[in-house]
Amino acid sequence: MDIKWNTSLLDLKNLIGISRGDPDQILKYLEQFQKLIPPRLAQLQQGLGKKDREMIRKIVHQMSPQLQFFGIEGIGTTITRLEFEYETLPMEELEDLVKHLIINLESALLEIVRIIRTYFK
Amino acid sequence: MSLKRIRSLIIDDDPFIHNLLRDKLQQHIPQVEVVATANSGEEGLQAIEHFKPEVIFLDVEMPDMTGFEMLQKLNAIPFQIIFITSYRHYAIKAIRFNALDYLTKPIDLGELKNAIKRCRAKLGNASENNPLKQALINLKTKNAADQTLILHTQEGSLHIQLSQIIRIEGERNYSRIYLVNQKKKIASKTLKDLEEILDDKGFFRCHKSHLINARHILAYPTRYSLMLSDQTLIPVARRKREAFRDWHDRMVDNPVKTLTQ
Repeated sequence: MDIKWNTSLLDLKNLIGISRGDPDQILKYLEQFQKLIPPRLAQLQQGLGKKDREMIRKIVHQMSPQLQFFGIEGIGTTITRLEFEYETLPMEELEDLVKHLIINLESALLEIVRIIRTYFK
Repeated sequence: MSLKRIRSLIIDDDPFIHNLLRDKLQQHIPQVEVVATANSGEEGLQAIEHFKPEVIFLDVEMPDMTGFEMLQKLNAIPFQIIFITSYRHYAIKAIRFNALDYLTKPIDLGELKNAIKRCRAKLGNASENNPLKQALINLKTKNAADQTLILHTQEGSLHIQLSQIIRIEGERNYSRIYLVNQKKKIASKTLKDLEEILDDKGFFRCHKSHLINARHILAYPTRYSLMLSDQTLIPVARRKREAFRDWHDRMVDNPVKTLTQ
């Protein structure tokens, strides 16, 4: 599969590397992102509502490898801070970081949906 | 020559890691067969019982228990373990202190190949699980001085109780470990590597070439040097003096006992 990927938020070089151009493999990872991220975003919202720092850290920690794999633009520092400064960040700043992450991941999700629709359906 | 197949099990709460690891193994190390995956420590225990794997890829942090807690529930560990963790996870220190194999997420192919190579060499040799057994003992040992540092050397594994280490001297790519009773060991780790795994266990880098054990400080006669239990005088670097004094005061007031692994 030789596609000129038109992405603004995602860097798909890891995906292309692991799938070796096999469309079924590419789709498997894209669909997994589409499946796993929304419930985690909902959990993040819950954590935010409860002001539960540990819950937020756990969700971010769990998502982090997949987000790194998809090379999502502009969230590296946010993830690092949420994972490692979650105990000491002022609550307001923590909330801002979580909201920033959610907004970016929702955009990334839209991009994934668009890629699936454009190239696979 | 075809390599023997290895039966492996992946225990991680992230399905993405299951996919990624399985695909990387299939593509690059097909001799390692993934016989099952598990999403939690509890599922992992059942899968171990059922599939009897030879190698387990084990997530350090899972929702129901840590990887170490899962291992502590087993009567025997007749398999090799490769831990999976993120690079800056708090457990990485414990893993390195105990010289255990690990991969960082998302999985790096070079790290994976090297870990499998080391596992293959250890398979079938029960004594090769000693670092893991020692790691589980270390985790239960509250007093840092009683913990045992494990280092791999060309001659095999080196096990050194922390209370026995007086100081460590760095020499480019290796370090000389000075022990009580005038014994000395060489480790193929830099002083920086050792500092990273020992700095919360009562050790302090007081000079670019010296890492010292608080338990062996006999005297702090001047601002520029300190005397250790083997009668050596170790310099304290100018830029480390203040940090050393603070650390030394803390150690005197509150010696390291409990460790976070």
